[in-house]
Amino acid sequence: MGAELSLRAVRHRRGGRDVLSIDRLDVTAGERLAVLGPNGAGKTTLLRLLAAVEPPTAGRITVDALDTASGGVDLLRRTAYVTQRAGLLSTSALRNVELPLQWRKVPRRQRRQLAMDALDRLRVAHLADRPARALSGGEQQRVSLARALALDPEVLLLDEPAAGLDAQSRTVFFADLDRALGDRAITVVQVSHRADEALHFADRVIVLLDGRIHQLGTPDELNRRPVDTDVAALVGYENLIDAEVGPDGTVLVGEAPTGLTTDHPPGPVTVAAFASGVRLLPADWPGLPVQVTRVSPGPGHRTVAVAGVVSLLAHVPLGAGTLRAGLAVRATFDPALSTILPRP
Amino acid sequence: MTAEPVYEVLARSATVSLTATVIASLLGISLGTALALAGLPGRRLLTAVVNTGMAVPTVVVGLIVALLLWRSGPLGDLNLIYTVRGMIIAQVAIATPLITGITMAALQLLPPELPEQLRSLGANRRQLVLRLWIEARLPLLAAAMAGFGHAISEVGSATLVGGNIHGQTQVMTTAIVENVSRGEFGTAIVYGVILLVLAFVVNSLLASIQQRGAVWARN
Repeated sequence: MGAELSLRAVRHRRGGRDVLSIDRLDVTAGERLAVLGPNGAGKTTLLRLLAAVEPPTAGRITVDALDTASGGVDLLRRTAYVTQRAGLLSTSALRNVELPLQWRKVPRRQRRQLAMDALDRLRVAHLADRPARALSGGEQQRVSLARALALDPEVLLLDEPAAGLDAQSRTVFFADLDRALGDRAITVVQVSHRADEALHFADRVIVLLDGRIHQLGTPDELNRRPVDTDVAALVGYENLIDAEVGPDGTVLVGEAPTGLTTDHPPGPVTVAAFASGVRLLPADWPGLPVQVTRVSPGPGHRTVAVAGVVSLLAHVPLGAGTLRAGLAVRATFDPALSTILPRP
Repeated sequence: MTAEPVYEVLARSATVSLTATVIASLLGISLGTALALAGLPGRRLLTAVVNTGMAVPTVVVGLIVALLLWRSGPLGDLNLIYTVRGMIIAQVAIATPLITGITMAALQLLPPELPEQLRSLGANRRQLVLRLWIEARLPLLAAAMAGFGHAISEVGSATLVGGNIHGQTQVMTTAIVENVSRGEFGTAIVYGVILLVLAFVVNSLLASIQQRGAVWARN
């Protein structure tokens, strides 16, 4: 069963500056929370404080009712922390997983069984006797995760566990993680600077910027309603353009229609649009007048750069017409893949 | 004066240096660990003292130990001057800073996330330190080897604290110096070769343990 996490008025200073400042955050037992933010946003600091490897400068963090500042080894043993680097010891993969169980005085036979089960769940049981540090990056991360899961923790803290892996290995890694967690009600907090990882994984996501929670919501809320351009950029909106809301709610760039309407009051706004939500239409259709500047192949689509009244990136399905550099087109936005943000 | 058999001098040299190395390793590894991992008060000062200790000529260390152990010195009542135990104390004083310094550097060179990763996995302080020593076993063995090399090869403190008394405190290095001063170069060279072989055997033994660990970790 997972544990509840609670942060109250938490402040953390390092090098004379605030690196984390969270007034209130509650994570329910069994919840999967993703922490999304750019480098230096305070994500790892938050995880280190939750893991109780260092106390906050001020404020209170509790795991169930236990204060992390006074919990000691008993508290540490309720959580498992997987760092960005696998941090394996120079011994066999199996021994790496067994050792923390030994520290918890699990009998020898039982810990061997638990360790092998955990390695098996992460599909690395066949590497059990290999020196852990000689394994590939992906294999090491799996062993590191197996080491954490073998402890049957109430809280699992993951610090960008797939950071060093290529795209394909990352996908497989997270599929394995999902399967390994199964229906266990462990509370999981995962830090990531990649929106795809965070949104795929979590029940809720917090966006951390400059050590503060900028937005907290479900992945769907973040996807559809980022609070500002910073969050939109983090979530993966490739296009952020300045626009105006007309008196009738039509969103315009200059005099040109974007294909969007809104109930925002008339005035300046920012349109955030995914590249897959940009439609390129014949030049005599209504829309933003632009010209194709570059067409490059992408996975399952072509990436088309256009410039004119605005510069945009569009993803066009393979085989959808002939697009070439220099072609004049009109661009509009798909309302389902775009959102209107207030412009300060 | 009847010359003492060379094997007895050799045995004394080995005993003094190995005993001093074991004691200095216990002290140096503990102190180096505390300096590397614990937020000791006065850590910078202690580190500076250790670094200075690594560079102090052994004859100076011998002089200080001799003054302390001298009959009229502060520790004179212990009757350790011109004894094997006194020589061991001097060699411990010589080897400890070296082993401390190398231990400190070895632990600081481990991946910085390792201690907190181990703590977060539930290691208590004792388990944490033990595991870090195992992780740093190769440089720690190198520290012991350096300590032994320092101890077995030094002559200044052995002369000042041991007095080079035949049959009691003469060791290989002081025997070499004595033979050279008497013009018996042939004997001195034989002693030198034997000392070299002793150092080679002990270091080879430690190096083989070290390399076995390194090969295993690599494969």
